Amino acid sequence: YRDLHTFELQAPTRLIEWARGNRVCVAGYGQSDGNEILQLIPPPTLLTKETQGLCPERDFKVECGGFSERPVYSLKHVPDTSLLVTSGPPDSSLQVWQVSAEDSDVIKCVSTLATENGTGQSWAKIATISAKAPWVLHGSRLDRVQITEVESRKNVYTAASRGSEELSGLTFLDCNTLALCCATGRLCLADIRQPQSLVEAAPAPSAPCREHWCMGTSHGAQGLEPSSQPLARLSSRGLITLTDLRKTSEFLALAKARVPSPGSGAEFLCVSWAPALEGYLAISGFDGTVHVYDTQSWDSSGREAEPVFIHKGHAFGGAGGSGDLPLVTVHTWHLQKPRTLLSAASDGSLHVWDWVQPCGKC
Amino acid sequence: MPEIKVTPLGAGQDVGRSCILVSIAGKNVMLDCGMHMGYNDDRRFPDFSYITQNGRLTDFLDCVIISHFHLDHCGALPYFSEMVGYDGPIYMTHPTKAICPILLEDYRKITVDKKGETNFFTSQMIKDCMKKVVAVHLHQTVQVDEELEIKAYYAGHVLGAAMFQIKVGCESVVYTGDYNMTPDRHLGAAWIDKCRPDLLISESTYATTIRDSKRCRERDFLKKVHETVERGGKVLIPVFALGRAQELCILLETFWERMNLKAPIYFSTGLTEKANHYYKLFITWTNQKIRKTFVQRNMFEFKHIKAFDRAFADNPGPMVVFATPGMLHAGQSLQIFRKWAGNEKNMVIMPGYCVQGTVGHKILSGQRKLEMEGRQILEVKMQVEYMSFSAHADAKGIMQLIRQAEPRNVLLVHGEAKKMEFLKQKIEQEFHVSCFMPANGETTTILTNPCIPVDISLGLLKRETVIGPLPDAKKPKLMHGTLLMKDNSFRLVSPEQALKELGLAEHQLRFTCRVHIQDPRKEHETVLRVYNHLKGILKDYSVQHLPDGSITVESILIQATAHSEDQGTKVLLVSWTYQDEELGSYLTSLLKKGLPQST
Repeated sequence: YRDLHTFELQAPTRLIEWARGNRVCVAGYGQSDGNEILQLIPPPTLLTKETQGLCPERDFKVECGGFSERPVYSLKHVPDTSLLVTSGPPDSSLQVWQVSAEDSDVIKCVSTLATENGTGQSWAKIATISAKAPWVLHGSRLDRVQITEVESRKNVYTAASRGSEELSGLTFLDCNTLALCCATGRLCLADIRQPQSLVEAAPAPSAPCREHWCMGTSHGAQGLEPSSQPLARLSSRGLITLTDLRKTSEFLALAKARVPSPGSGAEFLCVSWAPALEGYLAISGFDGTVHVYDTQSWDSSGREAEPVFIHKGHAFGGAGGSGDLPLVTVHTWHLQKPRTLLSAASDGSLHVWDWVQPCGKC
Repeated sequence: MPEIKVTPLGAGQDVGRSCILVSIAGKNVMLDCGMHMGYNDDRRFPDFSYITQNGRLTDFLDCVIISHFHLDHCGALPYFSEMVGYDGPIYMTHPTKAICPILLEDYRKITVDKKGETNFFTSQMIKDCMKKVVAVHLHQTVQVDEELEIKAYYAGHVLGAAMFQIKVGCESVVYTGDYNMTPDRHLGAAWIDKCRPDLLISESTYATTIRDSKRCRERDFLKKVHETVERGGKVLIPVFALGRAQELCILLETFWERMNLKAPIYFSTGLTEKANHYYKLFITWTNQKIRKTFVQRNMFEFKHIKAFDRAFADNPGPMVVFATPGMLHAGQSLQIFRKWAGNEKNMVIMPGYCVQGTVGHKILSGQRKLEMEGRQILEVKMQVEYMSFSAHADAKGIMQLIRQAEPRNVLLVHGEAKKMEFLKQKIEQEFHVSCFMPANGETTTILTNPCIPVDISLGLLKRETVIGPLPDAKKPKLMHGTLLMKDNSFRLVSPEQALKELGLAEHQLRFTCRVHIQDPRKEHETVLRVYNHLKGILKDYSVQHLPDGSITVESILIQATAHSEDQGTKVLLVSWTYQDEELGSYLTSLLKKGLPQST
């Protein structure tokens, strides 16, 4: 490590989102109400490019907080606004929150975007963009994907239906294109200018047993331009596929990560590209570690890949001997510092770490 | 309603100085008397004229309590007691009493000698002020006077820091001062019992902070020291307080052992002398781990740490030195600093806050050219680092303390209003108590609901439990009795007993009400109608028709007469005693509705 900071949140979070002004948002996902949404100001050490060792201000500051009655499973900041959108069980509706840091430090829920709730619907996955207007893309299943304008609550797009599998993630590839990833691994692309079309992209690689998949994409500037990085998908068995979005019929690369067998559920699977380091991605959700891989040497053989770095800090966290080992719930990359990541685990820990490239590689 | 009034004279909504006035059940207590370290003029002192315009402070205040020795909590004490004027008792813990005068004297020296100020307290004033101090032990109930008592609780944070409970009768306030809920290497965590005060006054400076773990701070500290020593540089660590220095020593000693380092570590002798002096005070305030490292009287039995000699500062090669005083404003640490400042391989690590005007403060602000005595300019090329291990409670810690003490109300000081709204809501939601955040000079009134114990006579208790449903332990039961207040005792007795004791005769109160009924028949027929009507309705009551023509319902009497002017109207006289008011009113309204036609 070049640097490692460990913090303890009062309640564990399963999301770490960047918001306006380099703020970081976390939120509780406990079953009882009284879950807190916190917008944090990272310590100055994270905001500067150089790493300082003994800076006096080493702590996160809670800038504002809000109370949510339901567990918060997903949170996205709406770009160019001071709004946040959250979602969580028991249904697929969304909550919209206003952050007004100058007047008071309370994040208030300003509206709810209800969705028609069929049976067996779980919580909605969300993505936001502010191209023509602040929009939120949401849906819990493949046949319930829509884009709603945040302020007017008007529906501006509904995706054509191609099945009713549960979604594990969705995102804007640019201001017109969407990518939808199902939990089965099926990937679909859509163009919002053509509401009836839903292009089937690459299917998931065949697997002996049921796996759960999630995806990670990297964005161009502010998510408005298409990125050059491929789309990555991660399975609960540790398989990682890279797909070039221009040629979706075949895999660009396929690799296997050395992870424990999927005993623990696929609840917290997470894969993400480094925004400032070409070809690097990180995965987590199998145990108390976060793996960093360099994908530039990968091919489509499906061989086991060697991680460049493994963050094990959460496994050694806090109270020892309490039985369950903590599980990393989420990780994210720092937007500017190339090798800095933030990760959170089920024991409430929040780590910020800066890894060092092992010798021998440039 | 009885109330507790709280007025922050400093640290309402600013961080800088703490001085809080509390009025509880007629007693007035001042909590802390701090100096604002950012101002150079009178604004650094709390505004005492707020307390009383022309009365004497000694008459108004029942006592002053100081929570710990940090200057933002005790810095204005000599000014207050000697220059403004206060002769009453000042309470603080033993270590605070021992350390306060030293810090105050240091501060006075810097302000007067270095900065040339004149309106400041003198050394004699500090001494006179400390003569008014009464030292207290932890968990010892101290009677300030017949009604006011105080008790100190362990607060962590620094050596000698305490939280105080102030109690008058059954109303109480707990003031936390600065505290810390996570144990340190040398200090335990704050602790309080479930004392259920009416009000808990808590600091909230760090409520919005999520602290970096101690392990990371320590690791970074050791890394810096190691790097400096590896390249042949010297590390200066100015310390004051015994506890913090001890903690760092243990840290370095363990690290040196593990890494097999050879560079010498020195501890300045001035510190050793003071250390032995504080040893007895310190040992009861620290936690178990430290106690084990103290070997008999000589606590510096470290393998790698030796006593310092002035000459060593000139030795070539790497070394680490702990020296006093902590802000580099005088003495040995300043001397060493001057020798080492010019070499960029060296490092100075400031372990805490430095007062304005000191060299420590200047270099932390980024100054690299310092003017020393005799107009000499000192160029500072050595690395300057700051590291604070001094701990305050974060949001989680505050919630923990509230959970421990179970106050009925919470008041937050030391934070900014806008930034405490979230914490206020959090506290109100989780504990269902009211949370207040007054500004400086603003008085907050908290209504209390004191329980007044009253003795109840056995006879009354027996009587009241017979009537009505069985008593339920969870529900309050309404009883009727007479409250006798004699001397300082309260007793609840039956009215008869009260009359007897007081030698008074009982008066009977009787009400008579006239109800007009349209009935052209003769009086005795009307009476019969009324009787049948009431008998039919009041089945559970004894309704009787007496030979003299009157009706009784229990002990209520009803008689009928003809109206003097109108034969068609009959006047019913309903008469009852005060005790039968309820039934009497009911009967009257019933009769006013008129009689049914059929009877």
